[in-house]
Amino acid sequence: MAISLSPRAQRRPRQNFETWAWLFMRVSGLVLFFLALIHMYIMHIENDVTHTTASFVAHRWANPLWRLFDWLLLTLGLLHGGNGLRTIVNDYVHRPGTKLVTKTLLYGGGGALFLLGTITILTFH
Amino acid sequence: MTAQTSATRRSSRARSSMYRGKAGQWAFILHRVTGFLVFAFLLLHIVDVATLNDPHVYNALHQLYGNIVLRLFEVGLLFALLYHALNGLRVIMIDFFPGAVRNEQALFYGLLGLTIVLTIVGGYVIVKPFFVGVH
Repeated sequence: MAISLSPRAQRRPRQNFETWAWLFMRVSGLVLFFLALIHMYIMHIENDVTHTTASFVAHRWANPLWRLFDWLLLTLGLLHGGNGLRTIVNDYVHRPGTKLVTKTLLYGGGGALFLLGTITILTFH
Repeated sequence: MTAQTSATRRSSRARSSMYRGKAGQWAFILHRVTGFLVFAFLLLHIVDVATLNDPHVYNALHQLYGNIVLRLFEVGLLFALLYHALNGLRVIMIDFFPGAVRNEQALFYGLLGLTIVLTIVGGYVIVKPFFVGVH
């Protein structure tokens, strides 16, 4: 595919943060392919949404492996989606001030929801 | 629009127009939009699951998810997730095995077709209980 790179980039490919972010998206994407589709199948196709009550979750989370499954889905989903949104912000938000505010909201909100989700998975009985 | 602004706008959008209007560009745009929607739903979903600490609120909320508007919303989520997952595999294939895909355009239309078929089948299962009740 013809993607024109600047001469500098062509001369010296570096293993910088963006390279690792690129690799992370592929690896986490592959894991999420199975985690997210299995989750969607069980919670929305196999069981009706009105049947997934608190006691349904209590029964399901009696097995710690399902808690681990859901925590991995939470963590990888937030990291994969958060990095995707970071890319979108980099592409479309150009004013430095707006960029700072948007990214602060993204990282702050993402971190807060990671904590909220983790606490929910760990403390529900 | 003057030529000047148009040129500026074009350069600022260089990344999103690199495929020059072929199937890959639609694949890219749809990948972004569906990714954004799935992520937005994930944020909402983390908050709604956090109400588990008060089972009454949690149960009431999940009864609400059973109404027709939110069921259709669920079908939309299914479409977005299926497309993003399948197209993601296509991106991984192209990135890691360059040359393995002979006909990228056919692959894109194939995965789009599969997404639509699976959305219709899954959507039928999701929407049906609203009309005939849950078995």
